[in-house]
Amino acid sequence: MDNNKFVEVKNLRKVYDNGHEAIKNVSFSVKKGDLVCLLGPSGCGKTTILNILAGLLNPTEGDILFNGKSVVKVAPKDRHIGYVFQNYALYPHMTVLQNVMFPLIVGANKKSKAEAKKIATKYMELTQITELADQKPGNLSGGQQQRVAIARALVQEPQILLMDEPLSNLDARLRLKIREEIRSLVKSVGITTLFVTHDQEEALSIGDKIILFNDGVIQQDDLGQNFYLEPNNYFVANFVGNPVIDNFKITKTANELKSSQFTINLADLEQSRFKREIPDGEYILSVRPENIVPDPEGLFETKVDDIELIGRERILKFTFDNQQVRSLINLETPIKRGDQIKLKMRFNRVFLFTPEGERVY
Amino acid sequence: MKRIRIGVLFSYIILFIFAIITVFPFIYMILGGLMSFQETTSIPPTLIPHHFEWSNYAKVFARAPFGRYFFNTVLTASVTTIVSLFNSLLGAFAMVNLRFKGKGLIQLVLLSLLMVPGEAIIFTNYNTIAHMGLLNTYVGLVLPFLTSIFYMYYLQSYFGSISDTIYKAAMIDGASDWDYIWKILVPMSKGGLFTVGLLSFISGWNSFLWPLLVTNEDTMRLLNNGLSAFASDAGSETQLQLAAATLTVLPILILYLIFRKQIIKGVVRNDLKG
Repeated sequence: MDNNKFVEVKNLRKVYDNGHEAIKNVSFSVKKGDLVCLLGPSGCGKTTILNILAGLLNPTEGDILFNGKSVVKVAPKDRHIGYVFQNYALYPHMTVLQNVMFPLIVGANKKSKAEAKKIATKYMELTQITELADQKPGNLSGGQQQRVAIARALVQEPQILLMDEPLSNLDARLRLKIREEIRSLVKSVGITTLFVTHDQEEALSIGDKIILFNDGVIQQDDLGQNFYLEPNNYFVANFVGNPVIDNFKITKTANELKSSQFTINLADLEQSRFKREIPDGEYILSVRPENIVPDPEGLFETKVDDIELIGRERILKFTFDNQQVRSLINLETPIKRGDQIKLKMRFNRVFLFTPEGERVY
Repeated sequence: MKRIRIGVLFSYIILFIFAIITVFPFIYMILGGLMSFQETTSIPPTLIPHHFEWSNYAKVFARAPFGRYFFNTVLTASVTTIVSLFNSLLGAFAMVNLRFKGKGLIQLVLLSLLMVPGEAIIFTNYNTIAHMGLLNTYVGLVLPFLTSIFYMYYLQSYFGSISDTIYKAAMIDGASDWDYIWKILVPMSKGGLFTVGLLSFISGWNSFLWPLLVTNEDTMRLLNNGLSAFASDAGSETQLQLAAATLTVLPILILYLIFRKQIIKGVVRNDLKG
């Protein structure tokens, strides 16, 4: 048994009946006890993967191993998984207690009512819903329904917990609270968890690692901070980060990177950061807003169109090649709307992408 | 303003007239069942009997095996209701929740069968039943009505309104399809099942043509046929016919009165016409 590959997905492919290829040759693995976030925009295939892992959908090709054993032909109920649905999928005609007990009183290894109640009560205490035991789901708030759904998912003591956008139906404040609770809960239970979300902030805050999908393909499978510091490609750089990354169209010549308003000497870049030799031509230079800062010795001059306050920091907005570009600065920096300022870039923090999105620097 | 009021008045008058037209036969049936023979046939017709002839009811039971008819009807209506409800439940579940090859085709075939009026196939059904030697048997009476595509479709739309994540959740929770049907689907669809059961029972109770075809023994008759047979067997004793008709209609009328809310709700829900 390899704890580093507790969940292993090999060359997974899924084509729906209507011909849509939702998953294209996806492989990844999850360490035992880890909380992994499957991140991506809507329609990227992340929920499809979760459904395939749960056995609710059959893969077109590829294999899935739980704890070293292939489960592709195993029924959902025998995969030892818990699943929390986006809409919670609580049984509306049952009380909270009956909902949580349900997995224990059906199926092949059902338990006696008394024993089921005992186990259910334990997990209801863990999720703090004991006092709701006799309520129907319809009378509960979103956050309470969420806890019931989690208790029901955990009550069979599964080895793997799958959560499909479990926080998307909650309001912003509650979402922050519940996501911390989820993290501490799954960590205290020690269960391996796959958590689907489209919210990068959510993924960064609770995931031990993140797998970013787009268009049915893994874009990056990495620790959270690396999405930020070392994005694999143009999509990742633009998907992760708030405010979003600034992109400049540039042309590379023999020893210069030239945009409409500035020129960078190639010698000023860190040579070791180049991924490969790059030919002359069109490229995209991307810089995170905090790495493009006002400086009297700046690279180019521009007018501040607008300023947005986001708590401790401010976002300066200016126009470059008819596109909005942002710079993140300290609250105290004395710059006003309409000011002409010079901006410089931290060259060891910029990225260079080919027009196809491949990262070359 | 005045024109609107006249409009309202006019619609009330129309409603009143149609209400009278609808209800009058029922009232006359009940009153006629309590008249003497002369009163039922007199010209001009009598509306209110001089003297309530309760003995008509005793005569009805004396002249024809009405108790037997009643028993037969309750039995066949109950059996068709229970079995067709069960079959429609399973069929609708399969159509909504199960994935299998050819589902779309089956759906299409069933839907086109739904378009065939029952009367169109009644003689082939008769032939089948006759060849099977099931004339004058309970089995022959109920067999063609043990499945109903219409009820299946009705339940299908009912089940379709239940989120399919509920089914998925049940699968992951370890429930078998059987568990899902009885512990989740049925409790969540009580309204729809009730409507189907009631409609099925009423149509079973009111069935006339089929039992008339497949039975000719007195002991196997249902109420409605018993009524017509009763008329010819006992001569044209109209007051007895009316009393017997009252007995036939009364139970179903009571059912309607008790469950009218559910019936209307169930029928309105799916835009079906009763």
